[in-house]
Amino acid sequence: MTQTATISADDFLKFQEFFYRKTGIRFEDTKRYFVDKRLIERIGQSGTRNFREYFSLLRFEADGTELQALVNLMTVNETYFFREDYQFDCLVKSILPEIVARKKDKAPIRIWALPSSSGEEAYTIAMCLIERWPGIRDHDVEIISSDIDTGILAQAKAGLYSARSVAHVPEAYMRKYFTKKAAGFQIDDDLRNAVEFTRVNLQDPADVRPYRHFDVIFCRNLLIYFDDLSRKQAAETFYDALCPGGFILLGHSESMSRISSLFQIRKFADAIVYQRAGVERS
Amino acid sequence: MAFIKKIRTASRPDDQRDGARDHDGLILKLDSADATTRRWAARDLAGDPRASAALLVRLQCESEVSVREVILTSLMRIADPAAIAGLVACLRSEDASLRNEAIEAMKALPADVGPIMRDLLIDPDPDVRIFAINVLESLRHPDVESWLLDVIDRDPLVNVCGTAVDLLTEVGTAASHDGLERLKVRFAAEPYIQFAAALALKRIAPA
Amino acid sequence: MKRILIVDDAATVRMYHRAILESAGYAVDEAVNGIEALEKALQFTYDLYLVDVNMPKMDGYAFLRELRQHEDLPQAPAVMISTEAELVDRTKAYEAGANFYILKPTRPDSLTGHVRVLLGEPQP
Repeated sequence: MTQTATISADDFLKFQEFFYRKTGIRFEDTKRYFVDKRLIERIGQSGTRNFREYFSLLRFEADGTELQALVNLMTVNETYFFREDYQFDCLVKSILPEIVARKKDKAPIRIWALPSSSGEEAYTIAMCLIERWPGIRDHDVEIISSDIDTGILAQAKAGLYSARSVAHVPEAYMRKYFTKKAAGFQIDDDLRNAVEFTRVNLQDPADVRPYRHFDVIFCRNLLIYFDDLSRKQAAETFYDALCPGGFILLGHSESMSRISSLFQIRKFADAIVYQRAGVERS
Repeated sequence: MAFIKKIRTASRPDDQRDGARDHDGLILKLDSADATTRRWAARDLAGDPRASAALLVRLQCESEVSVREVILTSLMRIADPAAIAGLVACLRSEDASLRNEAIEAMKALPADVGPIMRDLLIDPDPDVRIFAINVLESLRHPDVESWLLDVIDRDPLVNVCGTAVDLLTEVGTAASHDGLERLKVRFAAEPYIQFAAALALKRIAPA
Repeated sequence: MKRILIVDDAATVRMYHRAILESAGYAVDEAVNGIEALEKALQFTYDLYLVDVNMPKMDGYAFLRELRQHEDLPQAPAVMISTEAELVDRTKAYEAGANFYILKPTRPDSLTGHVRVLLGEPQP
């Protein structure tokens, strides 16, 4: 029987530095158990015998698939309503007022949220706009939410959710926007009709070409799973998808510092977000 | 209820694309007065192996960073000998931004750039040698460790060796043990080298 | 306790400077490039910045320029650390907003000495 690998203190530091450089996420000593357990799991899965061999694979593998698998394991992937909700507060309290203040036309405010996954994020945005943004009475808003997976898009359009998924929805919103069914909690038609779900492969230039003139993009916890070049390319795609002065929000533990220099950093009361410069030199 | 409208995501009229988007048409658009046009042209040339030369020429005079970034991404995707040679040339540029961008672009190069890296590691310019080691940080080539060992044995400059040792703390194996000990002796009076070499030795698998 | 932000893309250099500065009684944070440094500076208050020159995505000069023109950021002193020895580079550093410029590789006593001066602290 093969021995389970062990992770020494030096192994942990080596992994910590490498992961921090690649993702910006730094696992402190307090996370030893969390990290060691997952490293040992990947060592087993990858067919390497110990940390040294595994790290060599990680570092030198041509297509980076092991690194992606490791990132997947080390990051929390769960989606639910009002996840990282300080960003929705930021949208309503800071970002939208700024967009409205400089707006010179009557075109709708456009928000792109991806990956849509099963729709929690997009519907959360819709609820926040209706419930928390006074400006919704005076401005049209278009919410488009996209994913590469047609199966999950169908789920998003259907709008049926588990108790776990709605655990963070305020009670008043549950009463107003959800109906309890046998199979779960059903989003009401008004809200379902507020979001357009589309299939997009972010890495396919032909797919993303029509996605332009957005005021806000939510791209949370997606780019972390891309390799360096694809991440850079995605950031450049978002640059062109945004209006000058448009905003982009990444996941809580993500940063443009590992992705692209194209965006300016904006600090608001609730969140740090990124912005495409307002005026472009030619 | 709320005023949230769903509108078809058709392109707006101002998105009509004019002019040919074949190779020649796109090359012409690289010199457009409009940054967005240049950026889209550079993006659409990412799959075109014949575009390296034109992209590199544009890179040298492009002042809009968003266009430069897309040019670099396209060069990274093409990654043919012309693109690689052009990026290497950027390492010698007076423009620090261009140099740093080139280093980053080269980090994504395929592993078959071995001979090029070996030459850069013995370049007469010490800064170029340091930049080459920076590129090795992400290069997935089996000889990275042995190249770094050559550097710490032979390079006369402390900062070049220092950059190499930093990378050896990550990629070093038992094979680096003796070289690191020799480095400590060679730079006995440099606290940073003592620190870095000791760290690398600690990280290396037991000899 | 005063807090210093070390901005350098080399992990070993950050560790080395961390060891020196923590021994001297300072708290230390790290950033791998100018973008991460700005993000940290917007969230935490630093008494001093130790800034490398060559870093990916946003180099030391660009970081200092952003820092100096940013209304929201406290204007702490910045030490630029670089391999370049030519006069023209020192000028560039000061023009970008550095208060001091020292050469790599640094030495512990020299680094802590300069940090103490910039922080207005007495030398032991």
